[in-house]
Amino acid sequence: MEGVSSPNWLIAGQSARFVLRERTVSLLSLLFVVLVLISAWLGWSATSTVNRIYLDAAAFLQAAGQQVPTNPVLDISPLSLMRNMSVYVALIGALSAIVIGNRLIGLDRKAGVLPLIGIRPLGSNAYAVGKIAALTGLIVGLAAVAALVAVATFLVLPAVTITAAQWVQLAGFMAVTTLYMGIFGLIGLAAGAGARSETVGLLLPVTLWLTLTFILPQLTANLNPTAAINPISALATPPDTSFFHWAAIVLGPFSLTDAYKFASAGLLDYLPQGVTSPSFIPPVINLVLATGVAGAIAWRTLTRLSMTQGEYNV
Amino acid sequence: MPEPMIRLNRLTQSFDGMTAVDALSMDIAQGAIFGFLGHNGAGKTTTIQMLTTLARPASGTATVAGHDICNAPLEVRRRIGYVPENVRLYDTLTAAENLMFFARLSGVTAPQRRVNEVLELLDCTYLADKRVGGFSKGMRQRIGLAQAILHRPAVLFLDEPTSGLDPMGIKMLRDLVLRLNTEFGMTIFMNTHLISEIAKTCTSIAVLSHGKLVFHDRIEAVTARYGDDAALEELYLSLTPVGRLAEVA
Repeated sequence: MEGVSSPNWLIAGQSARFVLRERTVSLLSLLFVVLVLISAWLGWSATSTVNRIYLDAAAFLQAAGQQVPTNPVLDISPLSLMRNMSVYVALIGALSAIVIGNRLIGLDRKAGVLPLIGIRPLGSNAYAVGKIAALTGLIVGLAAVAALVAVATFLVLPAVTITAAQWVQLAGFMAVTTLYMGIFGLIGLAAGAGARSETVGLLLPVTLWLTLTFILPQLTANLNPTAAINPISALATPPDTSFFHWAAIVLGPFSLTDAYKFASAGLLDYLPQGVTSPSFIPPVINLVLATGVAGAIAWRTLTRLSMTQGEYNV
Repeated sequence: MPEPMIRLNRLTQSFDGMTAVDALSMDIAQGAIFGFLGHNGAGKTTTIQMLTTLARPASGTATVAGHDICNAPLEVRRRIGYVPENVRLYDTLTAAENLMFFARLSGVTAPQRRVNEVLELLDCTYLADKRVGGFSKGMRQRIGLAQAILHRPAVLFLDEPTSGLDPMGIKMLRDLVLRLNTEFGMTIFMNTHLISEIAKTCTSIAVLSHGKLVFHDRIEAVTARYGDDAALEELYLSLTPVGRLAEVA
């Protein structure tokens, strides 16, 4: 349909379409979806295997006239089937969000079209609003695919029953996942707008992502870098030493991957009893605050982007 | 006396303490084809950037189509088209897709029809479905011109439009500029280095040197006083630092 739409929506829609045409973005998003599917399959497979072993063992014990213990599968919340998704979100989801955020602005800067956009009769903030709206749409889209996979997994598993409260928890997990990816998307957007070169614009947020995912958790929760790819050991309690005590106080609010994993573990019912987030800020609140800060930085860099000198230097 | 289409009033711009445009004041009449001459770094592009509201002046002001560039930038933008020196477009999109995007951003109603009209007007319908990435400089320049006139602007700003074009491309562009001026009444503000083009196209000229206006007159008056292209070149060289150096030598 032909007509005049709001400039914000025009920029948002057009930017989203451009970004989706990018091969890197498509490949990373596809990889994210595949990994989400794998995480669902892993959860289903692990549960099915335990259940099958239990059924065999129960039959054996029954035949031997011994007492049959309760099925361990029934002892855990079905939501914990999705625990691997939190790892894939922290790894490939966040990385996809960075690339999406970076390309949303990088494509315009690389193409050199900023002056041609700058002379259009748009409001002073229309460009920034459009870019943030495009990012929000793409991140929500990515999270929606993950949510669809999770919902489908629970619906097709015959032995699993989800209560209304658990559906709400799952929705909460998807909301937290969207926030977490959104933080990295906004960082990618800000770096894409603020950096002088395209390389720095991408390297800066990736370095930040590496730090948040692999380095800070070592300081706030005494984790080996490899533990960052495990949803369970990532929640190990740090030793009760003054170093970890102070590290948790000072670095806890910045340890966003820890915050995301604790929030996910709480919402998906796999947080071990007695284990709490080392940070003094509750994980979900921490993520909301981080989204606010990342949003403010992205807004500032986007609204200060020069439409005459916006091209990359290299 | 009708209001001028463009009025500059002590327009000034500076970067890092260096004055790029120094208290520039002049009027450009409605329907004029104005040629803005000057050496590299004279401040021509900076002037265009201020007049197109891409950059805010350090001091002074200007009106374009009756609207102040600082106080009513959106009104100015609704009435202007701009073709930068190097036309940059989305290389992965086709010419028509690029034009559709800019038409929508400019608030053009029925953008598809307008894009087709403009492509036809500029005789480049054959480029519509081709990706811009493979275009020559001349083709880009045409699509650059197309995006600038989609919303039927009253004033068209061209920054070194003939730069890098072959003689055929230069002639094509000149014809288009003349057509836009005569058929659609557009006022044209053109930065250029080509003195021969000035004589063939412009109705008035100005010369900028180190950010200062050193000459401004109607072309008839200039040609009456100085004669042909060669004399015009002499005038230009005498007003610019390069020319003065040659004189000293």
